[in-house]
Amino acid sequence: MSRRNAAIFAAVLLAIAAGAMALAGANPLAGFAALLRGALGGERQLSETLVQTTALLFPSLAVAFAFRAGLFNIGAEGQLIVGGLFAGLAGAALVAPGWIAIPVILLAGAAGGAFWGGIAGALRARFGGNEVIATLMLNIVAALLANYLVVGPFHAPAATGPETAELPVSSWLPVLIPGTRLTISLLLALALAGALSFMFARTVFGYALQAAGEAPQAAARAGIDLRRTALVALTLSGAIAGFGGATLVAGVLHRFNVALSPGYGFIAIAVALVGGLDPLWIVLAAFAFGILQSGSLTMQALAHVPKDVVGFVEGLAILGLSARRIANPREESA
Amino acid sequence: MVETAGAALEAIGIVKRFGTLVAVDGVDLELARGEIHALCGENGAGKSTLARILAGALAPSAGRVASDGPVGLVHQHFELVDRLRVWENVVLGREPRRGLRLDAAAARERVRSLAREYALDVDPDAVVESLPVGIAQRVEILRELAREPSTLVLDEPTAVLAPREIDALFATLRSLAARGAAIMVITHKLQEVISHANRVTVMRGGRVVLRAATAETSLDAIARAMVGGDVPALATRRAVTPHAAFAARDLRAGDGAHALRGASFEVRGGEIVGIAGVEGNGQSALCDAIAGVVPYAGEMTLDGEPLRGNPGARTAAGVRTIPQDRQREALVLPWSIARNVALGDHTRPPLRRGWSLDRQACDALATEIVRRFDVRAASIRTSVAALSGGNQQKVVVGRALAHEPRVVIAYQPTRGIDVGAASLVQSRLIEARNAGAAVLLVSFELDELLAVADRILVLYRGAIAGEFAREGFDRARIGALMAGAA
Repeated sequence: MSRRNAAIFAAVLLAIAAGAMALAGANPLAGFAALLRGALGGERQLSETLVQTTALLFPSLAVAFAFRAGLFNIGAEGQLIVGGLFAGLAGAALVAPGWIAIPVILLAGAAGGAFWGGIAGALRARFGGNEVIATLMLNIVAALLANYLVVGPFHAPAATGPETAELPVSSWLPVLIPGTRLTISLLLALALAGALSFMFARTVFGYALQAAGEAPQAAARAGIDLRRTALVALTLSGAIAGFGGATLVAGVLHRFNVALSPGYGFIAIAVALVGGLDPLWIVLAAFAFGILQSGSLTMQALAHVPKDVVGFVEGLAILGLSARRIANPREESA
Repeated sequence: MVETAGAALEAIGIVKRFGTLVAVDGVDLELARGEIHALCGENGAGKSTLARILAGALAPSAGRVASDGPVGLVHQHFELVDRLRVWENVVLGREPRRGLRLDAAAARERVRSLAREYALDVDPDAVVESLPVGIAQRVEILRELAREPSTLVLDEPTAVLAPREIDALFATLRSLAARGAAIMVITHKLQEVISHANRVTVMRGGRVVLRAATAETSLDAIARAMVGGDVPALATRRAVTPHAAFAARDLRAGDGAHALRGASFEVRGGEIVGIAGVEGNGQSALCDAIAGVVPYAGEMTLDGEPLRGNPGARTAAGVRTIPQDRQREALVLPWSIARNVALGDHTRPPLRRGWSLDRQACDALATEIVRRFDVRAASIRTSVAALSGGNQQKVVVGRALAHEPRVVIAYQPTRGIDVGAASLVQSRLIEARNAGAAVLLVSFELDELLAVADRILVLYRGAIAGEFAREGFDRARIGALMAGAA
């Protein structure tokens, strides 16, 4: 989607949001004001918005990575959950100094996500299976599997909820601003966005990946193995989402809980598309969606707008943006 | 259709705009009963747009069309339902009914009598997808004739036909004209115009630049009108001592009607071997097998070494292809020229440096191709999607010839591009040959092969039906073999 179309789309969504607020009996202006105040009104609010931005940024970059290779990965949610699960299990089991434990936990998350994305990639590469259906269904498998494991075999004896044992404090991600939940995961996400941007623009790997996405037949004739590309792209896409899940475990919840993600992996599809699949614009888009996520509770409390309005608008955004993609996955271009 | 004089169709001041593009820019045209009228022009001159306006398939932005009966339009790419039978296609949309039911017997009889009346020999019960293109075209013509048109417009009807089928088509058209219909044939094959048409109209840039009776004009004059100047001369063919380069033994690929069924041949370095044949006789399978993009049986060698592996390995070995569909198979449309020229060579120096593409090297290569091939683009950063078909093709050919190729596989490299660009592409192929490359040129246009090739192989139903050296080129004999003569 071009920048201009993205702006039009955002404006339409804003208008719909205003309409929804009015229908809910609230003053839309007061609603927007409360939303912004809740998201940006102070250090605590801003840091919480950045926590949400970070949580969205990893799966959004994961989605963009696959999309740029012409693969519609709508399974970032499942990959994030499996990554979080791997990270939670590794983190709870590992007793080691932080400088060892933290990288191991994050890499375990990436491995979990890579495994989950790789299943869809392997199905596509080996049998030509449709990655949309595979990744979509694997979301459900991931959620149910995680639920089973943390209620059953890996349930922490002391815990009341469906969750694993807490990570040792030394394994928690370092906090950026004392007294907030904002950790170095924000910096990791920004670094990843920069790295992906460079990768797409400059490297041979990024070149081949995007050629396969934009013009598969031409790419195949140029010696780019489309099957291998599908496997690699979905695996790495899953790894990014899984890494994001691990940062939630090590940085926010300090354990794996089935409520790890309120749908970050789904909202990520909208974030990636609004950002035009460009990692640097996705950072901005993730921030905008982060504002929605973190401001919605304040909006509900102060302006009496149900926070579901945000979910409603996000749902519309995902629907509107992905319908075009599903109808014609290769229609868009960088 | 009894009168044989006067205008069957008159178009006055036709203008058609698509956004800011003016495709047809004030065209007046009169088609007389009983005439075969040729409409010529380069790609993008506005011919097909005008044809669709005349047939009422497209509304003009300005101007009007007056016609004394229905106008039939036979499309360049047939618009038939492949899975249906001939009679079903012909009556589609005007099915005779009995009550709520389709009256199949009446429909079949109607098609049979139409076929008899116009001497278009077709089996009404054949399924369209099983028919050769020449016959499928008759079905398309029958379908239009069923509406009893006073004017019949045919868009590039001979593009897919063998010479003999072309003669049969024009015989049919002449008999239609003799019954009082006006016939307009869009073509870029000028020999056909001279041989078969009564009058000719040439368009360039949406306007009419020449109207003449064919008896009073010449092939050369029509060509000059189309191009708007002299047609550029081809590069000179230098004497090269040919050396063994590429050989194929019993090559088989694809399946069904378009398969390649065992072809053995060689292409020596310093020679252009033309593959003559009507489209669909195994040409695609042949080129795809050499490029390594489809499974095949048989052996290929390059300078005596077996040629194997994936398309990338073949490219690296110096086998370069100019694929059939430049937009899908050769280019990444949203990308710039500079980014596209690296495709296929992105894995090796000089375009690769470590993990990255070497931007300077890509830019230098793109600049060189743009210069040598006269690519009309704002800059090497221009997206290839924004280029005309001819300029896109120049980028593709430029890339294929840039790295001193040992073998060049060119599939219809001049299809759909204007005369100037086509001549440039042909000249660069000849230069590659002069430099020692083995060039395999597939073309459906015999004239192109006669002009460019050192040797011609005729491909018919997936096998090589004949071979001609340049000294022994025999248009009639080659044409006969293309149509299946023993």
